[in-house]
Amino acid sequence: MINPFEDFKEYPYKKKEIPLDHIVRAKERVMGQIVEGYVKLVEEEVKDLVWLVENSRVFKAYSSALRTIQQVDYDSDDIEELCLEIDKGGKIPYLISGPAGIYLSALCNNAKEERIHLRLHELKRTFHFLGYRLPEGKTLVLEGDVGDFIGAGLSGGKLIVKGSTGNWAGAGMMDGELFINEHTGQNTGGWMSGGEIHIDGRIRGIAKTILGGRIYQRGKLILPHDMTARE
Amino acid sequence: MSVADDSALYPSGLPVCARRCEKILQTYIAVTRIACPGSTWRRDLGRRPQDFVVNPFLACYAEEYVEAHKIEEKARGKDMEDGNIRQKVRDIYGFIQDNLYLNRPDMRVGEESFNSALLFSLLTALNRGKELIIGEPGLGKTTSAEYVAAMTYQLPLGLIWASEVSGHPEQTEEKIIGRPDLGRLNQGEEVVVWSYLAQLPIKIVDEINRLPETKQSMILDGVDRGNWGYLNDVIINEEYCLFATANYQDRGTNTLIAPLIDRFDVIVESRHPGTNLALVIGMKDRYENVLRSPVYERDFQEILVEPRDYQEKMKRIEDLCDRFGDHMEKEFSVKMLSQGERKEIRDCVQEIPLDLDANAFLRTVIAELSFCFKYGQKRSDEHCEEGCHYTGFLCHHIKNCISNRFPMSVRTYSQSLAWLKGDEGVGIEHIKTVLPYTLAHRLQWKEDYIAQKQGDTRRDPFQIYLAKEMVNEVYRRYNEQSRHIKNALAVAYQALSGKDLEPIEGDHPIYAEIKQDLEEVR
Amino acid sequence: MMERKENKYDPLLKERWAKVRKKHFFPELPDPSISESMDRVALEIKSKQITLSQSFMEEAARHIPMEKVIEALLDHGVAHYTFCPWDFHTHLTLYQEAKKVLKDKQMAQKSTDYFMDVVADTHCFKEKDTPISDLYRHMDRGILDEAIHALYQRIWGKDLNVKGHEEISRRLSRIPYLDRKPWPESIHRFSKIIQGLLESEEKYGTLNQPNTMGQNDFGRYSCQEMDQGLKEFAMSTGDPGEFKEVVKDLEDELKEAGYASHGNMGLGPGSPLDADALFYMKLAENYALPIKKTPIEKSGSLYPFSHSPWELGKPFRDIDPWTSFGKVMPGITQIWERREGETFGEEEGTPNCIVVIDSSGSMINPRQHLSYAVLGAACASDAYLRNDATVAVYNFSHARSGDRQILDYTRQRTKIYQTICHYFGGGTKLDIRDIESLQQPSRPDIFIITDMQITNLEDLIGYINGLENRVTAVHIGDNTHVRQFKRSMGIRKNISIYSVQKKEDIPRIVLGKIREYFRSVS
Repeated sequence: MINPFEDFKEYPYKKKEIPLDHIVRAKERVMGQIVEGYVKLVEEEVKDLVWLVENSRVFKAYSSALRTIQQVDYDSDDIEELCLEIDKGGKIPYLISGPAGIYLSALCNNAKEERIHLRLHELKRTFHFLGYRLPEGKTLVLEGDVGDFIGAGLSGGKLIVKGSTGNWAGAGMMDGELFINEHTGQNTGGWMSGGEIHIDGRIRGIAKTILGGRIYQRGKLILPHDMTARE
Repeated sequence: MSVADDSALYPSGLPVCARRCEKILQTYIAVTRIACPGSTWRRDLGRRPQDFVVNPFLACYAEEYVEAHKIEEKARGKDMEDGNIRQKVRDIYGFIQDNLYLNRPDMRVGEESFNSALLFSLLTALNRGKELIIGEPGLGKTTSAEYVAAMTYQLPLGLIWASEVSGHPEQTEEKIIGRPDLGRLNQGEEVVVWSYLAQLPIKIVDEINRLPETKQSMILDGVDRGNWGYLNDVIINEEYCLFATANYQDRGTNTLIAPLIDRFDVIVESRHPGTNLALVIGMKDRYENVLRSPVYERDFQEILVEPRDYQEKMKRIEDLCDRFGDHMEKEFSVKMLSQGERKEIRDCVQEIPLDLDANAFLRTVIAELSFCFKYGQKRSDEHCEEGCHYTGFLCHHIKNCISNRFPMSVRTYSQSLAWLKGDEGVGIEHIKTVLPYTLAHRLQWKEDYIAQKQGDTRRDPFQIYLAKEMVNEVYRRYNEQSRHIKNALAVAYQALSGKDLEPIEGDHPIYAEIKQDLEEVR
Repeated sequence: MMERKENKYDPLLKERWAKVRKKHFFPELPDPSISESMDRVALEIKSKQITLSQSFMEEAARHIPMEKVIEALLDHGVAHYTFCPWDFHTHLTLYQEAKKVLKDKQMAQKSTDYFMDVVADTHCFKEKDTPISDLYRHMDRGILDEAIHALYQRIWGKDLNVKGHEEISRRLSRIPYLDRKPWPESIHRFSKIIQGLLESEEKYGTLNQPNTMGQNDFGRYSCQEMDQGLKEFAMSTGDPGEFKEVVKDLEDELKEAGYASHGNMGLGPGSPLDADALFYMKLAENYALPIKKTPIEKSGSLYPFSHSPWELGKPFRDIDPWTSFGKVMPGITQIWERREGETFGEEEGTPNCIVVIDSSGSMINPRQHLSYAVLGAACASDAYLRNDATVAVYNFSHARSGDRQILDYTRQRTKIYQTICHYFGGGTKLDIRDIESLQQPSRPDIFIITDMQITNLEDLIGYINGLENRVTAVHIGDNTHVRQFKRSMGIRKNISIYSVQKKEDIPRIVLGKIREYFRSVS
């Protein structure tokens, strides 16, 4: 039988590759793994299509996310791109802001870089739980408005929000610093036991239960009151 | 020098006589250059014959070397000859363009401009093709073919006129191919009197679309095979080409049906030459034509009507053609092509290789014109699905599948074009030039695609314009992924040769076709 | 005729051009030239003509050989033609995406230019053997150029003598420039990343300085290419608001490139482009029907058509004695085959058309969202205009209050589309006298597109019931009014009522009906 490709017998079929090809391929591989991890997390956590904010549930989701991303070699650009992908909804079938934020937080906390910058101002949706359990030595900068429970469980890291947050900012934080350039919502600092929250804009409401830590507004200490009085 | 040393420099020896024979020594060195490119033959040219030590055991190879030298000389000479013939063909083109078929160049090939009708007519005459020439009445469709025929086949114009068949419904086989010799028929003998059309290598059919389909088919069959049969007799043309003209659709015309039109290699339009050239044409004396020669025409006719064996007649015809050609050269400085030269051209043309890009590009075109993801191949009676993945490719815009005649036409014409330009190989440029003219008549476009393009500003007739647009589209896609396609083809070769390789994937019908070829075999 | 002044680099340019053409598979571009007066940019492309700046070339030649400079510049220019943006539609799509991010026209244009440069240069670097990297290594750079060259360093793996811009080049390097499909998304990300640099340029007043490697303006496209591009762009956006935003932004550039006074637009300089009308005009062209062919009718009489061989048993009466040579014997005798004659029917032509479109408050505002009702009306108008008919338009809302527009029969597309696109957004009451005023003795076809929520529906029903014209009523949705309308129409052959659930079906229904109408004439 004749070989209809005879004319290409001598053609050297090595592909010419430039670094761009490697970069794009590596990126797609990593993004694929990360997206897969997120989808798996959501499917595990949101079996009933309802996701309630309970401490145990949040922690469970976070631990599950950590386990998933352990083997993935990603960087901060991948995290930002995941935000875009989740917002776009193309490859990712569902956005559930809670688990999404927890997953992103796990990625940030586990990333190689000490300083991570996420540009979120173009996104249509807001993420909750960003900065969850941010550890000491890590700085996370969020550009744009974000959702609820930002900086929840902050554990010594530095979280800077160049925008406004939703409700429960700094909830349950233990140590570290939370800077918010614009406004916050209700229950700011709820159940926090340490650390500092600095707000440059309006505070819609401070939580009734605050166990420790300090809250500043426009550079002025507003909580705890007794310290305020002393100062 | 010892023999051992010799062997490093001279892989084989010379006869003893070579030491005294400068010419053979030079021959030896020339052959060594061919046989051993890395040898030191250049240094040897200055050495005296007596300084060489020969190996007498290898003396028997001397003749071979001399022979090899002759081959080399011949090849060098052939190149020169080839160049001369090429120039002759260009001169013919130039002569017709400047004196007989005045028209504007309408295409560029590299740095040169050509008139498409004239160029393709010339290529058709040279490579035994079949050309369909369309155009408005009176714009030189038939005359362009007549001039080209006359000059490439050394035939006087009057003879060509006499051999033409004009298309009308009442044409009969007897008028086209041959008739019984009536006198002999009355005596009970079946002897065929062949028409000029059947006998001469040039076949010109005017307004072929006015012939009934049976007659169209009869002519095309004859030209396809070179065989013309009537009653129980057959003549076989060794050399032939067909020029058929057709007006646009008008009252009283039939259409050329798809199976018939597919047999044409190329379609061209004979255009209006523009206002200024039209006036120049109008000022010429219509009866003055240097290609006419009543004397020779009569001689030709006498031979053609002789009741002789066809092969003998053709030998005499060729002799007369050569005499006519010489006469034209002497009297009018008009050079024509002899049979030998035409054969040489065809031999040269056939040898011209397609480069890899031309090859791959052509495969890409064929893939888009024959592929169907859903039904395995394009078929006229099967319709595309909405939302097919391959909607962006040509297979979505056409109804029919391209025939196998198409790549043959492309190859022949692109090789001829490369030869004419003096290029060593056929490249994408040649393929791109030739493609629209080999495709325009073979594609049946879908109505919605036609509707979208009908309003476009253009210079070509609609069919040819669509074909050019199509070629540009495929060219763009090829340009983007040429390396990938060539890689895919190379991998396919290796896979079919037994290597364990997976076919390369890609988003184009060509990859699917390659995959299918490999699957069928595995 | 003005002679082009010879430049001392012309021979080198010619030699390099031949090499570059071959490298890029012979693009259909005219020979490039060199300009002594261009000093702000390295090259310019106008109407596909590439012009190189001599001063730039000489400056660059201080670091690398002149032939490399020329080749690099030509590679860059040709890659813009063969790869990115390739066509006007792609250019508009890229600009649109950049504008979504940057919100400023100049910044969006600059971002688009740089993106296209990156794509074209990277394609060249990867696929063609090009000295572009050598050129860039020694080029004078602004801030943005530096960032882009830092990107090139990263993605090409070549040292271009750039320091810094680590973060920005790292982020830019993740974009798949060579993959055409995600280009819209890619330029979106590209624009976001370089937004900061563009804002700096704006702050320092250097934003309107042209790119060193030339601006990718619209002068490179012909009017027809722009027309085609707008057509495709209308189809791909599917949103009049988005289309309008881009067209309005680029109105000056379109006019400068000669588009506004071309063909369909019919606008002179100084007249604003009606982007809404243009959107529907271009979108309707994507749904075009083919031009109706002149009908051929059977004449009813039998005429001798062609010959076929006579066989034993066939009747004698059709024997042609002349072609049979007076003999009646198989193999010689021929009979006439008769066929019904065909002739062109009376050229009925296409009837004119009245388009009645409802633009009351319940209908979509076509200038804000895609209105399939308006698109259907546009398709109908386009189909009739392409078949040499004229179109009248009656656009109504609350007609008695003056919310109506009547356009008398015309072939001026712009006026027709402007009238169709007009939106009143008021009540829904038409005036039968308005439609009656457009009636003609030749009984034009009538297309009515409405949601049937017309307050004087009974008047309309009564009027239509009395008409002999072919009436096609297309209504959206189902409601009591619709049911009333249908009931009241009765069974009339000349009236067709279509109810569409999906608005997207309107153009298909309208065109289907027109196709039926046209066929009934053939």
